[in-house]
Amino acid sequence: MSSKLSQPVGSFRVIARGKLGDERIQGVLDLSVTRLRDLRLDAWSGLEDVEALRERAHEIRMRVVDDLEGYLDQFQRSVERLGGHVHRAGTPEEAVALIVAICERRGAKLVAKSKSMATEEIGLNGALEAAGIRPVETDLGEYILQLGGEHPVHIVAPAIEKTKEQVAELFSAIEGRAVPAELEALTASARRQLREVFLTADVGVTGCNMAVAETGTVTLVTNEGNGRLVSSLPPCHVVVMGMERVVPTLDDLSVILRLLARSATGQKLSSYTTLITGPRREGETDGPEELHVVIIDNGRTNLLHGRYREMLACIRCGACLNVCPVFRKTGGAAYGPVYSGPMGAVLVPLYVGLGNAPDLPHASTLCGACTEACPVKIPLHELLLDLRRDLVQQGVSPRWERVAFTLWSLAWATPFGYRLSTALARLGQPLGALAGPGKLWAAGRAVPALAARRYRDRPRG
Amino acid sequence: MAEPVTEPAVDPALVARFVANATANGFTVHRGAAPLIEGAGVSVASYGLAESGSVVLAAAPDEPRANSLLPDVHVSLLREELILPGLPELFAALSGRLPSALAIVSGPSKSADIEQLLAVGVHGPKEEHVVLLPAAPPPAAPPQ
Amino acid sequence: MARRVPFVDGVVQLFATCLGDLVFPDAVGDAESLLRDAGFRVEFPERQVCCGQPAFNAGHHAAARRVARTFTKAFSRSAPVILPSGSCTTMVTHYLPALLGVEPYEVWELSAFLDRAGVELPRRNEGRTVAYHDSCHMLRELKVAEQPRRLLEQTGATLVPLPRADLCCGFGGTFSVRQPEISLSMADDKLGGARGAGAEALVTADPGCLMHLDGRVRKVGGVPVVHLATALARGIGGGA
Repeated sequence: MSSKLSQPVGSFRVIARGKLGDERIQGVLDLSVTRLRDLRLDAWSGLEDVEALRERAHEIRMRVVDDLEGYLDQFQRSVERLGGHVHRAGTPEEAVALIVAICERRGAKLVAKSKSMATEEIGLNGALEAAGIRPVETDLGEYILQLGGEHPVHIVAPAIEKTKEQVAELFSAIEGRAVPAELEALTASARRQLREVFLTADVGVTGCNMAVAETGTVTLVTNEGNGRLVSSLPPCHVVVMGMERVVPTLDDLSVILRLLARSATGQKLSSYTTLITGPRREGETDGPEELHVVIIDNGRTNLLHGRYREMLACIRCGACLNVCPVFRKTGGAAYGPVYSGPMGAVLVPLYVGLGNAPDLPHASTLCGACTEACPVKIPLHELLLDLRRDLVQQGVSPRWERVAFTLWSLAWATPFGYRLSTALARLGQPLGALAGPGKLWAAGRAVPALAARRYRDRPRG
Repeated sequence: MAEPVTEPAVDPALVARFVANATANGFTVHRGAAPLIEGAGVSVASYGLAESGSVVLAAAPDEPRANSLLPDVHVSLLREELILPGLPELFAALSGRLPSALAIVSGPSKSADIEQLLAVGVHGPKEEHVVLLPAAPPPAAPPQ
Repeated sequence: MARRVPFVDGVVQLFATCLGDLVFPDAVGDAESLLRDAGFRVEFPERQVCCGQPAFNAGHHAAARRVARTFTKAFSRSAPVILPSGSCTTMVTHYLPALLGVEPYEVWELSAFLDRAGVELPRRNEGRTVAYHDSCHMLRELKVAEQPRRLLEQTGATLVPLPRADLCCGFGGTFSVRQPEISLSMADDKLGGARGAGAEALVTADPGCLMHLDGRVRKVGGVPVVHLATALARGIGGGA
């Protein structure tokens, strides 16, 4: 289990409070998620039958979950047939050890990285640095965060909270001269800084949006082109993928691709959708000589057969983040350094154990907007409801809470108990705001007054 | 370069849809002659996709990846009869034979990572051009 | 004379819900009046208590089961059960049968039932500007969104749309006390939206949303929040 993802109890509320108090961040979050949501809705409406497509996508992903080892096996054989290498890693430690070994075998000093949540999960950058190898993020948002030593706060728009001024400050420090806080200047600066990295990196590391079992294909989806550069120029390409990111055939891939960019950013396809099938071939003048695919487990196998297996269908599009009313207020940091929003609230407790992220299933009003927005029809809010049940059944939820609900349910198990307890509550009303939930309620709202007479006690004509 | 699998006859509606969507994506679409742009990288596209306004570039000995990656300006040469409706048709046309790298390019390099403002030409080409070439003439009939 | 629902012989059972019984009895009275005026005989099973939702949504299934059983002991299957609450309707329809291992009941949220019954409502809101808040349960689980609006318009109200009507009001049951700051910020957004839209009242069909939004208004001021039943029976001046 990755402890990097753990969220100690209470941290969600503390971080959220900080974000709520920052007017600029509130404005940025509202603007960004509203825009991305509108773009998705527009793109979905342009599809002939989006419901049927979502249903097909769900079916494809669940078919994979039903025989994951079979498809991974097929994928591995396909890649190896083309001269690529496939490695399976159970834990983050195993994964980084494998990747560092590949880099060391090539005498690598510089690694160019294209955005990958899987590499965040395993803490790859830290491990490379510890081995004396310099990793550089090439996705613009990730690069900015790396310079500032920060974590991504949205799986598709990682630096959503940064200002132009903050970026200019970071870039000026690198270039050793003042870079103006204007988009064109910042873009040119990033292009300059990172062009060097693409051309001189010894190893390129990317994620993988979807692997195709029948052909051994790895799919990269970017808008910037850094995925293509990272997978084409360095002599060695390492792909890091979560083991569930596979589809059986190219036809299945086309269903997922038709939904992915539309759901993430409202585009029909991202600027660059790249299908990589093996290392460079005979006669080709560029492309990596070596291709390695590192497939990571890190808690995914545990989900294959249980109530939460549908969560493995996730294609990391971010649509759920963009409709979540809670994410809109808090941003991603409150959920943790890698996954956030509804998908993070489900996935992180499943990966690290409920005891290590007990706030997350309750970081939601169960409004259901996420389930409505998910292109592969994961019933996210129902999974959150089930996780809440698990919190109680695993004894993670605090004892006093379980005692309170038990007492309440015993009182309300009969009409007599209900009448007695509510009569007493009415007497004790003024005290309600002094402690516990009543106090938390009363800080911002008038405490609801129990009516002088219950409805049932009124004369009904 | 892949063999054309569509009939030599070109569907003008499909071409029109390609032009509209590619233009909306930020491509400059030319017909007939390729523009003379100094320093531009030039690729021969394997296919075009009408639904998404994309050009499909396959890595090959005579089609290095760098051509479409490093220059500031990139030009794709695309024969009209190679325009397909969308991804399902593309994969059918490839019939499982994929090149080492197949780039489906749907516009110039862009990012909205800084304050959600659209920046163009972050890493890949800042400008993308497509030159639509007329369908290749049918093979000459053998002499009688 | 209102048209009757053909599958019912004119009898309905009213479930006040715990919040209705304890905190919003006037709204429950309004719901009963609306049903009577529509020509139905309204039974009020005395043994009703609560559907168990507060515990269920918090993950406490054993507690939820204990309380939910009171529903099966109070209500019969001989007539539809009507609730002035979208969230309780969702609980009884979607979750209670599996929780208790019983057959489903015929359950209706009030406005869905009145709309289906083809009621004719007096024009108590003539010339009034009103915003309607879709509770998440009604919007996404019950898919009842047009009916409350049709009924409000029947009473003469002019409906103004809320900005980002898809956004939750921030109640979410125990969420309101686990993440109170976020909950309040969401309430303020909702109330600010109603004010910005020029509404004289914000109407909701859910006692949970009502308690949360009305509680906020009583603390910091804002557009009055009114239960749908009250808005339809007596007009938006009738209070929460």
